[in-house]
Amino acid sequence: MPVEIALTVNGVPVRAVVEPRQSLADFLREDLALTGTHLGCEHGACGACTVLVDGAAVRSCLVFAVQADGGEVVTVEGLAQGGALSPLQRAFRAHHALQCGFCTPGFLVAATALLAENPDPTADEVRAALSGQIFRCTGYVGIVEAVLAAAKAERA
Amino acid sequence: MSRVGSSIVGTSVKRTDVIGKVTGTARYAGDVKLAGMLHGKMKRSTIAHANIRRIDASRALALPGVKAVLTHENVPRVLHYGAPHPRSISVTCDQYILDRKVRYWGEGVAAVAATSEEIAEEALDLIEVEYEPLPAVFTVEAAQAPGAPQIHETAYAGNVLFKPVVVTRGDVAQGFAEADLVIEGEYETGRPTPAYMEPNVCVCQWDNTGKLTVWVSTQAAFMVRGILAEVLGLPLTRVRVLVDHMGGGFGAKQDLFQHEFLCALLAKETRHPVRMEYTRGETFVGGRSRHPCKIWLKQGFKRDGTIVAREARTVFDSGAYGSHGPGVTIVGTTALTSLYRCENVRLEGRCVYTNAPIAGAFRGYGVVQTYYALDIQMDEAAERLGMDPVELKLKNAVREGDMAPSDHPLVGHGLEDCIRRGAAEVGWAALRQRPREQAGTLRRGWGMGCEMHGSSAYPGIKEQGNAIVKMNEDGTAVLLTGAAGLGTGAHTALAQIVAEELGLAFDAVSVVHGDTDIVPWDIGAFASHTTFMVGRAAQMAAAEVKRQLLQRAGEQLEVAAEDLEVRDGVIAVRGVAGRRITVRECMGPKLGIPAANLVGNGTYTPTKSYSFAAHFVEVQVDIATGQIDVLQVIPVHEVGKVVHPIAAAGQIEGGIQQGIGHTLTEDYVIDPATGRSLNAGFVDYKMPLSLDMPPIRTILLETAPDPGGPYGAKGIGEDPIIAIGPAIANAVHDAIGVRFRHFPITPEQVLAALKEKAGAAA
Ligand code: FES
Repeated sequence: MPVEIALTVNGVPVRAVVEPRQSLADFLREDLALTGTHLGCEHGACGACTVLVDGAAVRSCLVFAVQADGGEVVTVEGLAQGGALSPLQRAFRAHHALQCGFCTPGFLVAATALLAENPDPTADEVRAALSGQIFRCTGYVGIVEAVLAAAKAERA
Repeated sequence: MSRVGSSIVGTSVKRTDVIGKVTGTARYAGDVKLAGMLHGKMKRSTIAHANIRRIDASRALALPGVKAVLTHENVPRVLHYGAPHPRSISVTCDQYILDRKVRYWGEGVAAVAATSEEIAEEALDLIEVEYEPLPAVFTVEAAQAPGAPQIHETAYAGNVLFKPVVVTRGDVAQGFAEADLVIEGEYETGRPTPAYMEPNVCVCQWDNTGKLTVWVSTQAAFMVRGILAEVLGLPLTRVRVLVDHMGGGFGAKQDLFQHEFLCALLAKETRHPVRMEYTRGETFVGGRSRHPCKIWLKQGFKRDGTIVAREARTVFDSGAYGSHGPGVTIVGTTALTSLYRCENVRLEGRCVYTNAPIAGAFRGYGVVQTYYALDIQMDEAAERLGMDPVELKLKNAVREGDMAPSDHPLVGHGLEDCIRRGAAEVGWAALRQRPREQAGTLRRGWGMGCEMHGSSAYPGIKEQGNAIVKMNEDGTAVLLTGAAGLGTGAHTALAQIVAEELGLAFDAVSVVHGDTDIVPWDIGAFASHTTFMVGRAAQMAAAEVKRQLLQRAGEQLEVAAEDLEVRDGVIAVRGVAGRRITVRECMGPKLGIPAANLVGNGTYTPTKSYSFAAHFVEVQVDIATGQIDVLQVIPVHEVGKVVHPIAAAGQIEGGIQQGIGHTLTEDYVIDPATGRSLNAGFVDYKMPLSLDMPPIRTILLETAPDPGGPYGAKGIGEDPIIAIGPAIANAVHDAIGVRFRHFPITPEQVLAALKEKAGAAA
């Protein structure tokens, strides 16, 4: 039976009626047309679908939309503030932390959660924090550099 | 080669595709949502080899929400090429959309369109299929044994796909007779898959004029258009293929998979747009892997290290369909004529059908397999000759004028340059003398591997690069290219080349791509083709526009066009201060006269060029657990001219990641008894992730620019995945004295080999 939920997505209040079995990822992509959240595996292994729910990085393919009821969801589309790229987005661009870009939203969101918790991570901490995110294009070098650079920029 | 010493080319400008990708607004095929769109799903076989005795969709059709079901009984029966460049010798014409027979576990046997994915999935279970099992073969040996079941009637002989390729140079028997040392060995490589992040997906829609539009994740939009048109019996004016961004392909997304055809037919049947997306599991099962390969290799050496004879036989496992089997076999086998020079060579390569998953094109295209064997054997030879492997490889490295595998003389000493630079960088000579760990369980070792790889598929395929450049009336320019946006920054590189040639700022050039109705034809983004060939075509198109532009400026300034030059958007009379006009002024409308229409067309058919690399690697082997860790990689690549340094380094680092993967952990495994896939998912198919990746210190050389490439540039896409494998295997030998001749090298095998070695020593 469809369920009514109320939550905020990227700062905007949203009310919707969803099937209980609908994943948060499908809700974001299909009902809200936020297609920046990508699905690489749909079983929690790749991290491409990572979003923030109440500040914590979660795999939106593994949680139901109804579980986000009352929560605050941030997707990759919500990272840029007032039209300006976030320091992480800028750093990903500057450090060539992507090629095909399919995994990028998940990385950006996971790294956002990391920097919120640990504003001054070491390279090893970055690697550990992102160890569940699959990347297949450029060997993680640029990503780690980008996260460290963004952390530095945000502290400055 | 045109002018070197440019300013935009060679600079890491901001890539044009990145903003969309970091903000989540870049559109991929799977993001397309159309009114009334249905969802397609495929039913897959539960047996590896069988005739379909009966297939009954009536119960599925009766399910509310199901709009159409396709089986082999109601789809066109046209034998087709599943791979691009049809009618070239590289690919095979052996597929039907749906056949009366299945040839591997997981092959599609039916497809459903329904109002939701869930209903479509439910309907799959209601389709009844009765199989008549056939004997199945899962290894090349079994497939070639007498009495083996024939998998395809169209095969060359038995299960051998095409006439084996034989290459002979000089006199091998005489070469071996002159050798002081003869080494032979057998090598075997696994079944890694490209594992691109974006699962296969497409959306199809027919309009009321009978025209099909396809949004699809592909590297080869024009091939999708061509094959779909051929199989569906449509003129090319009735098929439009759109590709904006795509989430990786690494070669495999050159093929058409079953879903493109089925999606188009379901959309036609239901008169609704249909979306079909593979799950991750299906992307393994119905996707394309690298060809598992067995290589027998024998070489003769003089005491001073000179190679006097080389003989090899290769057998590539194509799996259930031909795809790129012939191309991979030919390229991989003929690669053994080169890298290390040898005048007496005899090679034979064959490709065999089995009931395993389909192998296809994957970065490194056959050469990953054969150079793994060659470079490990070189290391072995160095040991037996009492030589430093670097010295032995330098002694035999191919050089300017040597015959390349493509039978073209090579340009430059790229390989030698890479080896020397890498050896200097790591202090190789001193490393060889270093004291070895004795205590504890950790053993370190250094190894190196080499490779060369051709840019473009020429001469196997007579490719061409095409481009159109147009000027806008405000002095900016547009490049129209058929080159796919694989994510490699190719469009940025092309825009750089156009800006450079036209004397415009990088930002003044925009790129239109991804629509087969608009852009010039392109064979597809593969074989390290885009920067090399399309780049040159773009340069030629821009040069033509520049000629027209300077002509026009000459008329306006009343000087000969030859006396003009354009730089930073300003056209000036050479050597005369003050006589100048901006490109914008030159182009714009004046006094009621409209702006000029300046268009340039560039078409480039190259000869072959080769890029080179040497990878130096340090590994650590834990002799208690068998675990191998790669500690650092120093890849040295000679690429003629670096167009975009950061993008080039990114390509190299990504290739190394995948190469470490196939050497140590990645292997798509099937049950040897049933052919059922055992690890079709990211949990069980182990790829190197952030914690597994070592520091990589990339060095780019421009010492052997190619006369054919834009500004001397050559390809880069294939190269980095090749040399890393043998470098790791050689480093493992350096660390623990065990020679592995296969990949992946697993911890269990390391432990078993160490045990055996200890037993032999005792
Ligand atoms: S799509 Fe959710 S983890 Fe892969």
